[in-house]
Amino acid sequence: MEEVQIGGMRFTLDLSQPLYEQVLDQVRSSIAKGEIALGSKIPSVREMAQALKINPNTVMRAYQELERDQLTETRRGQGTYITTDSARVEQIRYRAAEQAIQEFLGKMASFGFDAQAIEKLLRKYGGEST
Amino acid sequence: MSKVVIQADDVFKKYGSRNAIQHLNVSIPEFSVTAILGPNGAGKSTFMRMITGMVKPSAGNLTVLDQTPAWEVNRSIAYLPDRARWYGNHRVGQAIEWATNLHPGFNAERAWELMKSFGLDAATPVEGMSRGQEARLMLALCLARDVPLLVLDEPFSGIDMISREKIIAALIDSFSERQQTVLISTHEIAETESLFDHAVFFQEGTAVLSGDVERLRAERGSMQNIYRQLYG
Repeated sequence: MEEVQIGGMRFTLDLSQPLYEQVLDQVRSSIAKGEIALGSKIPSVREMAQALKINPNTVMRAYQELERDQLTETRRGQGTYITTDSARVEQIRYRAAEQAIQEFLGKMASFGFDAQAIEKLLRKYGGEST
Repeated sequence: MSKVVIQADDVFKKYGSRNAIQHLNVSIPEFSVTAILGPNGAGKSTFMRMITGMVKPSAGNLTVLDQTPAWEVNRSIAYLPDRARWYGNHRVGQAIEWATNLHPGFNAERAWELMKSFGLDAATPVEGMSRGQEARLMLALCLARDVPLLVLDEPFSGIDMISREKIIAALIDSFSERQQTVLISTHEIAETESLFDHAVFFQEGTAVLSGDVERLRAERGSMQNIYRQLYG
């Protein structure tokens, strides 16, 4: 599916994977990347369902999970807002980094690189910061 | 497990010596948006006609909204038949009037809103409508009914892209606003599969696969992929 932009977030859905997890992951990563500001309002379930052309129940499920995760809060009659708790967002950012590193390490391992070789390569390609 | 709205237990329908439906076992969960998928002649339309009591099972047991299908049950079902047409001598306004008088729970105000969003006004004559316009008219008349069960047989077939997009948008609005169980048969799988949360795949009159769409995606990929695996 082509990229859809809504409420400052970008979505690309793959119909061969569960949609609920993709919506959840992509909102989470928008928050971690700072694409949506703390405390800002996110689109309603209906708006999101219309933009993504998906079942509103799927959006609802993702929104409920975000709320359980304390990344959003629903104000009665007003809509759903991103948390203002920057420490919580920082946790999510680190979790995203952890996940990215795990994926990276897995991929490197599949090419036969061990930790030492990876470190060497990082120094070579990753700039002078190390 | 959510409540079941349509339950078929070993249902058969014979036409002469041919089984249009055989050994059909299906449960449709309440408030689901269920896709009825399969090639032509797999029994999808016959199943929908059975739900509305227009076709009686030759054997087996079918319950719809906890009852045996009959005209009394149809008060609770909005049904869009395959290749549905409206009276050519009506205009849109008369169609709404007619539906208001005919259908219990018909919400005329909502019908007008839908017609407006579909680009149809009161004076538009049905005769001379394009296929896409008539499909939008028929669907609006179905969506305007406050009923627990909506059954749409091929609402997207043979209509232009813009009409299809308008119909999909109207369906998403409808799903957001109301708690209703929805059954839709379609061949436009790629375009519509993101709307469904439950799917039943028909083959030779029986359900060969059914379940929660997100679970099916996790296990076997997109509905389009599954369709190819099953019938390709």
